[in-house]
Amino acid sequence: MSAIRLFAQTALFAFTLAACGGGGGGATPAPVPGPTPPPAVVKTSVAEAARFLDQASFGASPSSLATVQSRTLAETLDAEFAKPASLYSGFVFEDANSNTLCPATGAPAHCFRDHYTLFHLQPQFFARALTGDDQLRQRVAFALSQIMVISGTDIRQPYAMAAFQNILASDAFGNFRTLLGDVTLNPAMGDYLDMVNNDKPNPTRGTTPNENYAREILQLFSIGLVQLNPDGTAKLDGNGQALASYSQDTVEGFAHAFTGWTYAARPGATSKWINPRNYEGQMVPFDAHHDMVAKTLLNGTQLPANQSAATDLNQALDVIFQHPNVGPFIGKQLIQFLVTSNPSPAYVARVTAAFNDNGSGVRGDLKAVVKAILLDDEARGETKAASDYGRLREPVMVLTALLRGAGGSTNSDGYYLEAVANALAQPAYTAPSVFNFYAPSTPLPGSSSLVAPALGIIDGTTAIARANVISKLLAGAIPPDSTVTAATGTAVDSGRFVSVAADATALVALINSSYFHNAMSSGLQTTLTQTVNGIADNATRARAALYLALASPEFAVQK
Amino acid sequence: MINLNRRTLLKTLGSGLLLQQLPGFFRLAEAATGSDYRALVCIFLYGGNDSNNTIIPNDSSGYGKYSAVRGDSTAGNGALGIPRSQLLGLAPATGSAAFGLHPDLSDLQGIWNAGQLGVVFNTGTLVQPLSKSQYLANAAPAPANLFSHADQQGQWQSAVSRGVSRSGWGGRISDALGRVNGNLPALLSLAGTAPFNAGETSSPLVLPVTGSFGLASFGGSAANSVAAAYNSLLTSSESQLLTVAAQGVTREAVAASAALNPILTGTSSVDALFSTTGNPLAQQLLRVAKLIANRSSLGSTRQVFFVSLGGFDTHTDQINRQSSLYKQLGPAMKSFNDAMQQLGTAAQVTSFTLSDFTRTLKPASGGGSDHAWGGHHFVMGGAVKGQQFYGAFPDLTLAGPDDVSDEGRWLPTSSVSQYGATLARWLGVSEGQLGTVFPGLANFSSSNLGFMNA
Repeated sequence: MSAIRLFAQTALFAFTLAACGGGGGGATPAPVPGPTPPPAVVKTSVAEAARFLDQASFGASPSSLATVQSRTLAETLDAEFAKPASLYSGFVFEDANSNTLCPATGAPAHCFRDHYTLFHLQPQFFARALTGDDQLRQRVAFALSQIMVISGTDIRQPYAMAAFQNILASDAFGNFRTLLGDVTLNPAMGDYLDMVNNDKPNPTRGTTPNENYAREILQLFSIGLVQLNPDGTAKLDGNGQALASYSQDTVEGFAHAFTGWTYAARPGATSKWINPRNYEGQMVPFDAHHDMVAKTLLNGTQLPANQSAATDLNQALDVIFQHPNVGPFIGKQLIQFLVTSNPSPAYVARVTAAFNDNGSGVRGDLKAVVKAILLDDEARGETKAASDYGRLREPVMVLTALLRGAGGSTNSDGYYLEAVANALAQPAYTAPSVFNFYAPSTPLPGSSSLVAPALGIIDGTTAIARANVISKLLAGAIPPDSTVTAATGTAVDSGRFVSVAADATALVALINSSYFHNAMSSGLQTTLTQTVNGIADNATRARAALYLALASPEFAVQK
Repeated sequence: MINLNRRTLLKTLGSGLLLQQLPGFFRLAEAATGSDYRALVCIFLYGGNDSNNTIIPNDSSGYGKYSAVRGDSTAGNGALGIPRSQLLGLAPATGSAAFGLHPDLSDLQGIWNAGQLGVVFNTGTLVQPLSKSQYLANAAPAPANLFSHADQQGQWQSAVSRGVSRSGWGGRISDALGRVNGNLPALLSLAGTAPFNAGETSSPLVLPVTGSFGLASFGGSAANSVAAAYNSLLTSSESQLLTVAAQGVTREAVAASAALNPILTGTSSVDALFSTTGNPLAQQLLRVAKLIANRSSLGSTRQVFFVSLGGFDTHTDQINRQSSLYKQLGPAMKSFNDAMQQLGTAAQVTSFTLSDFTRTLKPASGGGSDHAWGGHHFVMGGAVKGQQFYGAFPDLTLAGPDDVSDEGRWLPTSSVSQYGATLARWLGVSEGQLGTVFPGLANFSSSNLGFMNA
């Protein structure tokens, strides 16, 4: 099935945000003006529920807010864990050679764009973020996609990226060891970081095994550069210098252990060393191209000589998985992606403990990790007053929060959001490099120790662009892309805000509960109220208030 | 151990400020005509440019060592060696050193021959001078986390190779210069945020590579009141630190956009010199050239620009990928050099390359190479003592005297700090401030690699 046909199918269900939020689902109600009434039984306050949804979904929608209020947060988590993953489907194998499918003459319009870029996949990301029922899974998967990075800069075939992202969504609530194995043997990752076709040393050609995957799986996907205490702080030597987790020799040991894998053969083809590019399934081993010498891995662990490629790979991943850094290294980053950029060491240590043992003696249970992150005292509460608490919203989250929070008949086919996410320096699944869109260590200016990761892509250019995108989304429907079959465009329905806009206080209160978990500063409330009171027309009043609120520096922070 | 102490830094900068405000005062008249003007343009090659194939020995002994490891790429077996017959000769103005340039950098050969391009050999991240035996025995401080992209990019950009740095040397030059560019900070980036740009006391401004730069009007009769309200949100007193950061970035950009947008989006006399299609570096350098062309109206006197080109992490298929990148790098640098000639600013603007590291001389499986250490760099402009090589070229023997491994990873013989200080001094950073901008500079016997005219 071509990407275009796939899109035509998915676009048939123009979605309704109010109906399909975090805990919702079911029939599509007509747009209801005014705030969604609280559920009959409130187990979680509206402010707590809204804060939770900022952390555990792509933004609070009216219906998800109602659902989360009706349960305890632990119940919500159990419900989210039980939901099946909304996986990408329909993106199937296509020849890696674009000339085959899109010859220089005679190819349909946009052939290359449709088949050799992520143009039709990125809107599907937004579809899941906006209306997917498995909000927590998608949110965690998106975080994982920024830790275990492959990028559309190099992996341009949509079926390849779809298969990789499906791993992250499927494994998001599984065991970290499973995730590590699935990511390692994924052919798109193999291509991106050069583990595919990584040959044993060749004395004739004078080549050594490729070190790329070996280095990055250690540095970025599992343990990091420096030895960590369980609370995420670095272990120091006598001179106060951080102790390295591994050396260049360790990288070379893993590089040798990871030799001997190529793409799976296409159905019907004879498998051989260096099969043609094929991003389906997992890579396959060829022991004749696996280096059979003994390898020294982390902390002097040895892999004995003469083991097969598969045995070496599994044991090498076990060695990584058992390293004490994994809990704090992965746990802290997940905290930073979901809750706060500068967690206390004690918070990290509690999450590490959950990684190390889920309570039943199992190491690496990501459900336990996510639960520990989201139910921790440092995550919970109706407001957080500390001046260093929270995280800058990533550009993608600003867009999804705006649309989900609007409710009503707001809808988007994702194509406009795809384009503006690019302008805001966060094109989905297309980071500049394996180091993601920004470094977890990006310093917060003016501080001697705090970090603000997303500040790596929030700069003068993107800050202005963000305000302009918010303005444009609120100004009226974005027409469908005429080059895309069955495109529907993007439209924010601000009806429920317009309906109360005659009363400035009510309007500001609705924005406050919808987007600020009732914690909007009095200064911002005053600015909104005064501005609204100078405008006569209700639609303009609502639009001005939403623009100022959502483009404000205050909304830039999830806290 | 080098560790940036922010308080010490502020103190040093504070005292330096008075000294340099005085001459700045007398420079006002010159600034009005743009004659008192200098700028640095940092071209960062992200991913680790394999400079072993940028500058290649072109004498039989040197080329022999090179080809013994790299083979012949035209044989099509994953070898990385450029045939000697394809090298573009770089004849030095004095001396007899024989080196050749990558065949896809012919644009740079012309700039070399015009005396406006220099090559600095084997430069890299260092804490202090280091011998191979010291490195192998761990007997002297070496850079932390060698061969890691993020860390080595950070160290090239911060000039701090051990300990934490929360700023870059471009940003610290900006700190040292103070507000000498009208309402603009000294550091303007056309390549997003980067450690290089961040100052301890100053903030860079990131400008768009394409399109306009400014807040869109809310429209209608409420446009003015909404704009005023938004402005008040950008100037209100905030206590939440992340809010303050987002607010500051937005406020600075909005304030600068009115003056900059017409320059960035307007036509310019240098437009025709640039071919920007498929060349993001040329796009960035075109906008830098436009900003330089408008230095008088902007009141700019000392600027640092940051631009970049990515894709140099050539673990596989290096021959084709590097070729494609050099077909962007060479024309972009030539266009910019031509623009500076046309504007009459050639001697006032110096461009230079940085990169994560160079790559292993020994090829890796898949027709590429892995992460290494010291590499060669270009400095370009009318104030460069061009057509010369600087520093020491490494012995290209695997496990030889300059290889810290057995795969061809060169121990640098010049440091980032020395390289940067040579440029910063020319720009106008005082001797007293250099040690603050480059905290480890005193560890090296010379702070001047000699490639700049005064």
